[in-house]
Amino acid sequence: MDIHISKLSKSYFSEGRRIEALFDVNLAIPANEIFTLLGPSGCGKTTLLRSIVGLEIPDEGEIRIGDEIVFSKDKGILVPPEKRGLSMVFQSYAIWPHMNVFDNVAYPLQTQKKPKEEIRDRVKKTLHFVQLGGFENRPATKLSGGQQQRVALARALVAEPKVILFDEPLSNLDAKLREETRKELREFLTKLRITAVYVTHDRIEALSLSDTVAVMKDGRIVEIGTPKKIYFDSDRSFVADFIGRANLVEGSISRVGINHTIVDTSLGPIVCRKKKDVSPGDAVVVCIRPEFIHVKEKAGGEGPNLFSGRIDSLIFVGDAYEGEIRVGDTELIVRVEPTLDVKQGDTVALSFDPNHCSILLK
Amino acid sequence: MQRKSTPLTFGLIVIVGLLTVCPVVMLILGSFSQGLGSFGTFTLDKYIQSYTDPAFAEIIVNTIIFTLGSAVVATLLALFLAYLNTRTNIPFKFLFRIISIIPMMIPHILFAVSWLLLLNPSNGLINLFLKDVFNLSSSPFNIYTLPGMILVEGLLDLPIAYLILAPALASFDVSMEESSKVCGASNLRTLFMVTLPILRPAILASITLVIVRSLASFAVPSVIGMPGRIYVLATHIYRIIATGFATDYGMAAAVGMSALASSTILIYLYRYLTAEGDKYVTISSRGYRPAVIDLKKAKYPFFVIVAVLSFILIVLPVLVLLYTSMVPYSMVPSARAFSMMSLRNWTEVLGDPISILSVKNSMFLGIVGATLGVILSIFVCYAIVKVRTAASGILESLSFLSFSFPGIVIGVGFMWLFVRTPLYATIWALLIGYIATYLPYGIRPLTSAFVQIHAHLEESSKVCGAGTLYTLRRIIIPLLIPGIVSAWILMATMFVRELTLSVVLSRPGTEVLAVQVLRFAEDGLWGRLSALGIIMILISTTLVIIASLTGAKFTKIQTVGGDEPH
Repeated sequence: MDIHISKLSKSYFSEGRRIEALFDVNLAIPANEIFTLLGPSGCGKTTLLRSIVGLEIPDEGEIRIGDEIVFSKDKGILVPPEKRGLSMVFQSYAIWPHMNVFDNVAYPLQTQKKPKEEIRDRVKKTLHFVQLGGFENRPATKLSGGQQQRVALARALVAEPKVILFDEPLSNLDAKLREETRKELREFLTKLRITAVYVTHDRIEALSLSDTVAVMKDGRIVEIGTPKKIYFDSDRSFVADFIGRANLVEGSISRVGINHTIVDTSLGPIVCRKKKDVSPGDAVVVCIRPEFIHVKEKAGGEGPNLFSGRIDSLIFVGDAYEGEIRVGDTELIVRVEPTLDVKQGDTVALSFDPNHCSILLK
Repeated sequence: MQRKSTPLTFGLIVIVGLLTVCPVVMLILGSFSQGLGSFGTFTLDKYIQSYTDPAFAEIIVNTIIFTLGSAVVATLLALFLAYLNTRTNIPFKFLFRIISIIPMMIPHILFAVSWLLLLNPSNGLINLFLKDVFNLSSSPFNIYTLPGMILVEGLLDLPIAYLILAPALASFDVSMEESSKVCGASNLRTLFMVTLPILRPAILASITLVIVRSLASFAVPSVIGMPGRIYVLATHIYRIIATGFATDYGMAAAVGMSALASSTILIYLYRYLTAEGDKYVTISSRGYRPAVIDLKKAKYPFFVIVAVLSFILIVLPVLVLLYTSMVPYSMVPSARAFSMMSLRNWTEVLGDPISILSVKNSMFLGIVGATLGVILSIFVCYAIVKVRTAASGILESLSFLSFSFPGIVIGVGFMWLFVRTPLYATIWALLIGYIATYLPYGIRPLTSAFVQIHAHLEESSKVCGAGTLYTLRRIIIPLLIPGIVSAWILMATMFVRELTLSVVLSRPGTEVLAVQVLRFAEDGLWGRLSALGIIMILISTTLVIIASLTGAKFTKIQTVGGDEPH
């Protein structure tokens, strides 16, 4: 089921200051996709999620889930959370400590007053699906973090909701478990073909789980796109910087060619991927990801975007070196192959493919 | 929600303020007044009269020695026990948990009486026994002395000191000790050079709190101190208002002000120390298991010490009371003593209309008082934890205020208040006084229960499709029940045994158990006292058991909800 949000605003007062948690948010979340709201803490992503589920009441705007308007300021509609037929996985899991696993998962069905046999069968099936078969009578608090997370997921899935919402569900797990659970979650959600709205501040989670990512900042949606589009072809320097390690070099458009656009920067002219709607003289930022900067021991070779610089620092991190290379007055972060025979202080040659140099608006 | 609840917070501030601030205001007013009946003109007479009394200096000295002595005894014993429990491989560790909860079971006045029955110079059982065995002409022990009072009060306050010190020792970062050992220091040297200095804030906090408790203590000073003519502040106030022909509540208020002031200052010191303690004692987040020291062969002697302490604290008082309630007069247990045993003391107590009235009154106060107290505590905790406006802070400070009030002093304050109302000399006066004074005992367990109910637990229920009532029934109430039960048990047991406030407020017709026990003690009727004491312990224990069972049953019904698969 799709979700349409229009002109949603919400502000509150904290310590005498007015904070705009959401500002004129317009969003269409397509059905049966994993849609992620990504942004730094305090950007309003959780407020948006809680507004969809009904735990926060926005000041302005409208929220439509499928054909039903669940909130509308103008029409005076406010459907309470228990009537919206959604489900949610909380950051703290919100597992009820006084119930066992079965009662926790059965709860949404019990509120619907389903027959006991049906509840038993569906809980069993769901627990089996999240690989917790046979855990019914365990006290919920005696489970590990990963298992509690799956109980929360089972509880969210058991009533076959129209939409499932996730509020940073992996942030309480340790790094290794987080990685495993992320893969599992992706698998579960792909199998179910369900509309999922996922809130996170973790860019790897957002990129690996989502069909669509919306990046938020200061209560506003900054950019929406597929993970690849967001990563490689963002329009905004905030997004490019937030989504991954990036060299952001300021400059101005010098020439708009047929296939490429050339930008004058402190490094010299950089040939970039073609950007529409810019004209010579515009101030822009060139984004070059460290993994796309090729480092060679000796200068030479042909093609665009050849530079030379001095290695300021070089740190071995296992699968590569992380290096800082000074070109003129500009420091670039680069990834150097671990097999390359270079050391700090060496002068090396750099090159980068114009297709991996994107132009961002400031 | 926020807007709706603000009147609630303000309403509670008014109620709790009336309960806790009113008696203090009346105490202050009273201390500057001419008499209980009418305030009269402002006067400093009572202060001049009480503080220039030549006997007053001795009372202050006694009070200082008594409170400090008890604090040192309780803290040293608690430190020893806490160290053994958390840091050594001593066997039968469950004993330590029992030691930390017994104060709920045995009322202080009975504990004091049982020691008096053992160690008094004329017919104390231990004295009689030693005189027989060693053919002594005089008794080796005399409990009617400051050391006697300090010993008994120290043992009574041991659990409080233990509850402060044990968590501090358990959360201690062992690597600090380990680094001392790596530097070449022995176990003993490490203990004195590293462990104890780091624990200093916790030790000082324990000493401060025990001083506050023993300053407020009335059982030991009245039962053991007064017969030996050793007066401390609490018994001095009692002497002013309850003995002799000219009772003077103005003077009692003036003397009480110094006890109230010292107690309040000490509580602030205690709060400061426990706040500092967090900085000092490094609580590691990595869940260290503190390194356990192998006591080797010393294990058993140490265990014997702990076992003897538990025996002294728990079993001995009850045994002494039970024995005394059966024999006609004090005698060492012997074949003759057992042959003379009868239920005469019991039938006398059960036939005594005042004793029966005191049983009824105390049970009423325990059951109704605890229920009303818990209901008030639930609202207060809800306002403090869940509503959380700026006013909640005021409410929180107000509701913990009475923690620093010595019972007898606040009793005098209530007297000044109630004498002006129709509540004077009714059971309701006691009820209100009890709830006001013991409100922190209801609020503490309920606060932690409310804190445990994270907002997500309620929200999650709503998202699952449950309405407000369903959420209340399935989620909130079951999660609150353990807190409600412990608050009720704490308040009910406190009320059944209440002494310090009652000696001031109890009038003919509103006698309560502890006051009746005190009367028997003053008259030397040890047999009847013991019988009534055992009844008192039985009532407390029964209330604890019923409350726990009800709580367990209720939680179970709510949890399973009849939907569990079989």
